[in-house]
Amino acid sequence: MFSVIRSEWYKLRKTRILSLLFVGPMVGLFIGLTTNNDNLGGEINQWYTKLLFMNLTYSLLFLPLITGVFASMICRYEHQAGGLKQLLALPVTRGQVFAAKYILVIGLVMVIQLLYLVSIVLVGMIAGIDDPFPMEIVWKSIFGGWVATLPLVALQLWMSMLFKSFAAPFAVNVIFTLPTIMVVNSEKIGPYYPWAQPFSMMYISDNTNDLFFVPWDQLLIVVGGSFLLFFVCGYLYFQRKPV
Amino acid sequence: MIGKLFKSDLLKIKRKGLLFLTILGPFGVVALQMVNYGVRKGYLLDQSDNDWQYYLLNISTFTPLAIVLGIVILTSFIASIENETNAWKQLMALPVSKLSVYLSKFTVITLLLFLSSLLLMVFTLSYGLTLGLGEDIPYIEILKYSFYPFLAALPVLALQLWIATVSTNQAIPITIGVVGVIFAYSAFVLPDWMIWKWPSLMNQWDKPFINAFLGLGVGSILYLVGMMDFNRRDVK
Repeated sequence: MFSVIRSEWYKLRKTRILSLLFVGPMVGLFIGLTTNNDNLGGEINQWYTKLLFMNLTYSLLFLPLITGVFASMICRYEHQAGGLKQLLALPVTRGQVFAAKYILVIGLVMVIQLLYLVSIVLVGMIAGIDDPFPMEIVWKSIFGGWVATLPLVALQLWMSMLFKSFAAPFAVNVIFTLPTIMVVNSEKIGPYYPWAQPFSMMYISDNTNDLFFVPWDQLLIVVGGSFLLFFVCGYLYFQRKPV
Repeated sequence: MIGKLFKSDLLKIKRKGLLFLTILGPFGVVALQMVNYGVRKGYLLDQSDNDWQYYLLNISTFTPLAIVLGIVILTSFIASIENETNAWKQLMALPVSKLSVYLSKFTVITLLLFLSSLLLMVFTLSYGLTLGLGEDIPYIEILKYSFYPFLAALPVLALQLWIATVSTNQAIPITIGVVGVIFAYSAFVLPDWMIWKWPSLMNQWDKPFINAFLGLGVGSILYLVGMMDFNRRDVK
């Protein structure tokens, strides 16, 4: 299993994915430095207001969209010139290949989340915020955002296996991601919409009792449920895919 | 020559879902307002004295995002049709000039976007009529809010088509497109010279037609630059 992941990594290393990873913190810096919130009440920790603005754009649009690009990226090699045929001729099972690709993509999403964390700190340094850094809250939103993308990555991996072009899985991603801007306003639909979960999980709130910013049952049912659905469908599709 | 190329490009995009996306885009923008007005119509009507204007404003919050993302998808699609099967080489082996190949692809996407703007106008008007927003229907404003974003987005179209046609790896144009949509979403903090701000029709003079004219002008320039670069490159 480990060697399958390693071979996926070798294939990926030669593409320009490493430079794409830096788009995340760049976007974080852009949002963080363009929002001006100096005069929003004196007593509240300045990091909170900065984080609120930065996480909004980042988790609402950027994170769901970029995970789809990563998923397509990892399938690109196999779509070119019958690469899948050669890969599956090796003594590996299709399940291993699917799992290896999935693990690598979620690893990349973790890296982009950590780079985003760096950009938060940088924004704070440039803006000269001297309040104590809310480490616990920031970790919660970084890690929570990552957990919330797990089902989205599974769906995008499935779509990327299904379609040869980059544009088709991206179109599917856009169709589900764009309504999120409207959905998060609704208290009724918002908690049940998988694409709104990165936003909910990264949204800074005072609810510090749970592990994340959303209640456990919502996490398990919506994130866990949609993950199972997308992952199993993608897995079964790949098992039956004619090569 | 250009007519035949154009016809062959139309054939190539057949049954690939591009027309479906072209219809889905404007429908989605209006459908989001159907949800919005469906859930809290009373509240939204209380927000302003001019209900039509407020409705158009609500519509126009999603138009730039849908247009920018639509452009990214369509340009990448049309480039990957050739990329996937290594058809660029075969296409260039025909007695056609590279300039007209590029022009033909640009025309196809412009036409699709024009169609989606037209549909946006139809959907905006027809859903607006069912809401009972008042007797004075602002036809001119609806026309502006449907077609100005399209004209203002032409530079983004020229840029994305350029990047998509010269990149073998479509992750590059799509990632640039994702950054572009983040810009479009943050239009209110962007300086006026950034092309991703223009589809939002915001500018410091508060005159939307400036964005449309700038879009036409800069779009043409970027189109020429992209076409020249495409012409100069070797076909791999």
